[in-house]
Amino acid sequence: MEIRDENFRVWAENECVYFDGVLRLAGPDAYSPIYSLAASLLHEDHARVIFDLTGLEFLNSSGINLLAKLTIEARKKPEIQLVIKATTQYPWQSKSLPNLKKLYSGLDLQLA
Amino acid sequence: MSRTILGTTDLAETSLSSGACLTLMDGPLELGWRLSGLTSDFLAEAMALPFTGSKTRHANVHHSIEYLSNELIENALKFRQPSDIVIEACVDADLFLMRVRNEIDSETSTRFQNLLTDILSADPGELLIQQIEANAASNASGSGLGILTLLADYGAELAWEFEGANNQRIQLTTTASVQIPLA
Repeated sequence: MEIRDENFRVWAENECVYFDGVLRLAGPDAYSPIYSLAASLLHEDHARVIFDLTGLEFLNSSGINLLAKLTIEARKKPEIQLVIKATTQYPWQSKSLPNLKKLYSGLDLQLA
Repeated sequence: MSRTILGTTDLAETSLSSGACLTLMDGPLELGWRLSGLTSDFLAEAMALPFTGSKTRHANVHHSIEYLSNELIENALKFRQPSDIVIEACVDADLFLMRVRNEIDSETSTRFQNLLTDILSADPGELLIQQIEANAASNASGSGLGILTLLADYGAELAWEFEGANNQRIQLTTTASVQIPLA
C-alpha cells in the first residue's frame, strides 16, 4: 500500500510505515488516506509498529496533527509498542516531535 | 473604520521594506494551495542564502523561514476573500520578519479575533497539547495548530492587525518574527 505525489511518498512494509519527502497537504481531510494507512497497522496483530520519519524533510502543522492523532490512537492500544524513528537532520523533527511524548509517555521516540 | 491589533503590538509597526515584496495577484494565478509551498520554498532559499557558510546553520535558518512562511501563507489562502495576497519578508540582524496581508470577511474576522484572544491569554505549549487532544476527538476540518506550533515550537512572535468597518471586508495584516538560530 502506497500513497504518493511528486513531493512525498508514504508506504507500509510489514510493521513499518515509511514517510518520505515534503508533506504539505491542505488539512485533516487531505491527510485522511495517510491516516487510514498508518492507523490500519495499529489495528493489526503487531507487537510493535514503527513510523519511520527519517526521510521526511518537511511537515506542515496539519501533518503534525496527523502524527498526533496517530499517537493518540496508539495510546488506546498499550499492547502495541509504537516506535517513531526520527532524525535531527531535519529541524522540524527536533522542534515538534517531543510534543508527541507529552501526549503518550509510552511512545518510543528515537530521535538521532 | 476600526483598527484592532492583537499580539506583539510593536511588530505591527515594524518596517519590512528592506527585503522581498511579493504580490500573489488574484485572477489568472488562481491562488491555489500549492502556491503556499512554492512561495515559502522561494523565500527560504532567498533569505537563507547569506547563511550557506555553515551547513547546520543554513539548514536551521532555511527551515525556520520555510515553516513560518508556509503556515502564514496557508492561512491566507485558506481564509481569504477573493483578493491579492501581499507578502513582505526580510532578515534583520538575528531575526527573520514576515508580513502577509489579505482580506477576510467580517464573520471570519470576529471568529479569528476571539480565537486569538484565547491563544494570547494562555501558555501556547499547554494550549497546543489541548488543541491536539481536542482535534483527535472531533472531525473538525482545520487542525488549528499552525499558530500554536509557531508560538510553542519556534518561539515566534506574532501580531495581527484587523482594519475595516463592520459588515464589510476586513484587511488582515499578520506580522511574524522568528529568531534565526545561531548554530
